[in-house]
Amino acid sequence: MEIIKELIIGLFYIIVFPGLLFLVIYGGLSEWLDRKFYAQMQNRQGPPWYQPFADIIKLMSKQVIIPKAADKKMFKILPFIAIAAINTSIFMIPIFSNSALYGFRGDIIAVIYLLSIPTATLFLIGWSSTSPYATIGSMRVLTQLFAYEVPLLIAVLGPCILAGSWSIEDVAVFFTNNPWLMLVNIIGFLVAIVALQGKLERVPFDIPHAETEIVGGVFTEYSGRLYGFMRLALDMEMVVVAALINAVFLGGSFGYSGWIGLLLFVIKTEFVVFLLSVLKAAMARVKINQMVDFCWKWLAPFAILQILICIVARFMING
Amino acid sequence: MIKNLKEKAVTWSRIKSPWVLHYNSGSCNGCDIETLDALTPRFDIERFGVLLKGSPRHADVLLVTGAVTKQQAKRLRRVYDQMAAPKFVVAIGACACSGGVMYGCYGVLGGVDKIIPVSAYIPGCPPRPEALIDGVVKLLSTLKK
Repeated sequence: MEIIKELIIGLFYIIVFPGLLFLVIYGGLSEWLDRKFYAQMQNRQGPPWYQPFADIIKLMSKQVIIPKAADKKMFKILPFIAIAAINTSIFMIPIFSNSALYGFRGDIIAVIYLLSIPTATLFLIGWSSTSPYATIGSMRVLTQLFAYEVPLLIAVLGPCILAGSWSIEDVAVFFTNNPWLMLVNIIGFLVAIVALQGKLERVPFDIPHAETEIVGGVFTEYSGRLYGFMRLALDMEMVVVAALINAVFLGGSFGYSGWIGLLLFVIKTEFVVFLLSVLKAAMARVKINQMVDFCWKWLAPFAILQILICIVARFMING
Repeated sequence: MIKNLKEKAVTWSRIKSPWVLHYNSGSCNGCDIETLDALTPRFDIERFGVLLKGSPRHADVLLVTGAVTKQQAKRLRRVYDQMAAPKFVVAIGACACSGGVMYGCYGVLGGVDKIIPVSAYIPGCPPRPEALIDGVVKLLSTLKK
């Protein structure tokens, strides 16, 4: 009986909350907000709130075309691997309270690692669909990965050094107890926001699926259900990444839980989404070499500067 | 009953999220400019869920402008075949509807419907963006039946 009970609870965590269902619904709403902000900044009205869900339902009901030259097994499996990786990473991030479901020491590294699996699947789906556009797109995905991943990781490590812990939970608790110390991390926060644009492949860094150059990039050959799942994966990734930024830089739920925790979570993650869409609306696409240059010449040094500031601040706190 | 509900949801989603692909099969660019006009923030067709897609695999509605030349016929057919079902074709402008002033030209096959099945015709030389939006909306409203 015990085992069955635990199994049901585990399945509830995986499928309903904070797993698949929560991520799908919140991801859809976040995508809508993102598109709405974007539309408002272009002085137009934007899509209605149910738009992402209509898109997903429509894509699910469409025919799936698998090209003859493609690797059929990989082509079919990869979107689900991306979703599984994202779904796993949400368990280690605190959501409505300051405690994560399965937090452990060093989980921040595990989360960063799990979040780079979707990028790897993006590369693989481009590679296995064998279309020239998709292949170029997948090469760009990898080039981009090596540019933004390092600044992102270094920026996220800043708060960890300040808090003296490698666990996301502890970092959130630390900033809840010392909210003013969040100001120390402001450079790291901005670096992380810019690097996230690369991770989520949004406008300044949407080089892997630049529509004017390489059609749909890595997604060129994807249609119907499989494309729908890939879109879902990107939406879910946005939520997970916003939750990570919320926990690491913005102090988690400030010790609240329940409804207030939920409200704080929604406000802060949507604030992160808002910043991301401001960047998206304000900028045009850059070239891949400019992107790599920018990440290594500006983002990485600023991230290292942030780490230095954090180390100094840590010594000052400890006296 | 569940099947009925599912069908309703699918039809609703198809009406609410038509993704378009723009293809020029030999137009003079007049209709293309009007088509791109319709996609600008001024008309804001993202209100109706319309998104311009680059790849035929993602698109639901194929917007074809211009009379079909002999060179383009094979490519047009190919782009149509690459789209995932259910798919719709909208012929934009007099030339795409029937061949227009190019009708009977030595290099021209005629209207788009000579090559692929067309769901909606939007006449005009060129049609205004409003006419285009109206045409797509009318096409989608036939889905309800």
